[in-house]
Amino acid sequence: MTDRGPVVLLVEDNELNCEMLTRRLTRAGFKVITAADGAQALALMASARPALVLMDMNLPVMDGWTACRRAREDEQLRDIPIIALTAHAMDADRRSALAAGCDDYATKPIDFPELLAKIRRMTAS
Amino acid sequence: MSTDSSQPPAPWSQVLLHAVSDLRILAEAGDKGLEGALREDLQRLLQAATTLEHQVADTANDSHHDQMNSLAAIRGYAEMLQEDLGTDSGSLGDSLTRLLQAVDTAHNDSATAPAPAPQQRNIASEPGFILAVDDLQENRELVARYLSRSGHLVVTAASGEEALRTLADTDVDVVLLDLMMPDMDGREVLRRIKENPEWRATPVIVISGSQDMDGIIACIEAGADDYLFKPFNPVLLQARIKAGIERKRWHDREEQYRQQLERNEKFIRATFGRYLSDEIVTEILERPEGLELGGDLREVTIMMSDIRGFTTLSEQLGPQQVVAMLNRYLGTMTEIIMAHNGTIDEFIGDAILTVFGAPQRRNDDADRAVRCALAMQAAMDGINADNRAAGLPELSTGIALNTGSVIAGNIGSERRSKYGFVGHPMNVTSRIEDHCQGGEILISESTVKKLSGHYTLGERRDLSIRGIEQSVTVQRIEEARHD
Repeated sequence: MTDRGPVVLLVEDNELNCEMLTRRLTRAGFKVITAADGAQALALMASARPALVLMDMNLPVMDGWTACRRAREDEQLRDIPIIALTAHAMDADRRSALAAGCDDYATKPIDFPELLAKIRRMTAS
Repeated sequence: MSTDSSQPPAPWSQVLLHAVSDLRILAEAGDKGLEGALREDLQRLLQAATTLEHQVADTANDSHHDQMNSLAAIRGYAEMLQEDLGTDSGSLGDSLTRLLQAVDTAHNDSATAPAPAPQQRNIASEPGFILAVDDLQENRELVARYLSRSGHLVVTAASGEEALRTLADTDVDVVLLDLMMPDMDGREVLRRIKENPEWRATPVIVISGSQDMDGIIACIEAGADDYLFKPFNPVLLQARIKAGIERKRWHDREEQYRQQLERNEKFIRATFGRYLSDEIVTEILERPEGLELGGDLREVTIMMSDIRGFTTLSEQLGPQQVVAMLNRYLGTMTEIIMAHNGTIDEFIGDAILTVFGAPQRRNDDADRAVRCALAMQAAMDGINADNRAAGLPELSTGIALNTGSVIAGNIGSERRSKYGFVGHPMNVTSRIEDHCQGGEILISESTVKKLSGHYTLGERRDLSIRGIEQSVTVQRIEEARHD
């Protein structure tokens, strides 16, 4: 594990998936922090300033769409890239994620190499 | 809430579960050969597979979303294991490859599964803050998704207790309430919402899983605003949410208006309450047009009372005794004046300046003034009894009454003003009062002329008043005659 890697905030309420993705991202050299709902995610975005957010859209308390919209309305959080994790390969889901202000999306089950490439590109600067 | 229709397991699940059991046998056989991280990842993979097996077996509770999450976890761990095993993967590698193929198939199959019908209509609505209460996560997610898409802000609660906490913390526009929940059920939540004065106005839409019309009717009687049966039509849900938000907004505006009125009333009571009786304030509030705050010349009866020799008295007592004695005296007098609907203009030390007939004119202004003065003198016995008990000297007061035209209105500067009176008759009253003996009430001729009640009056006396040429005729009032 390295502390030097960029910090990625993983927002995922499903424990299995959250654990798995944390593990994979950590292996890939990222420092991973996690949130289980949209409200927690917004709070962590503000306090931990992650380089990127991976956000599941179906979340309790505050869903991913709402959290994205709020983040985009917030001057402090506006610039943090968000990749939506959508459960379905449906166009509507992707579009609504992008409409809510996500920069990109990945469909579950995630093609990890592809996702990794996106994360690396977005955190490259 | 579970849907009643149970579905057969998806065709992909057979292949996938087969691949999983394959892997499990291999894992048990070759477990010891794997090192730390690999072993851990394999355990996690199998754990995810177990979860998926349960989800697939539980056909009554078909949650596509949960299955996708399990699939995602299986795939992730399988890929990590493959990466770690490298080319020298052996039978475990083969098993993982088969598993990943099965996951792909499962994923593709479920992706081509019939998607929910696209929304035919979009109900345009003012965005609202919606609280969706349901014990089942997938139901909460479904509702959150529908409503977020139409621009509403959705918060969810998984139990009645959580819903009540959210209500306490936030200003919710509409509550979407599932009736069947463990612990605190929807009906109880509804009851608590409707018995709380702050939440009562928040529209509640109840959701019932069965077509239980009697249950719905009971809820509507208990204060629910609308209802839906599951599975509900998203367009209908939106239409009802829209109606709920409009109802809430209407109520909020009404509430705002009511608060504005209340503030106005509070302001008027605060401005006049110290000088006027509640009765007069209420009268002003009910007929504000009768109150002219601008300068206004009007005929009033003025009453001035003063304790005889108070200055000398106060020099002999300690300051605390003086204040205590004065407050008791003024308190009693104020109550009597208020009871007779007099307007206290001001307290000047131990003197009280009171006006009858402003801001509200009444036909019996002079009579009330006289009855008030008599009541004040009668109250002195009680005050003196208290003073004797407290070791304080006895007091006697003189009261003067005079009637004339004064200017009434808000007098003062912009920063500090009060409803008050100016005019010559005010000064004349004060001069008459100078002539009063202790226990005496002197009443000027102008007031006598206004009286309609009968009183025992003393002899007429002419007083020469400083500042006016003509003398003022006064009489002593002895008592009211009840004839």
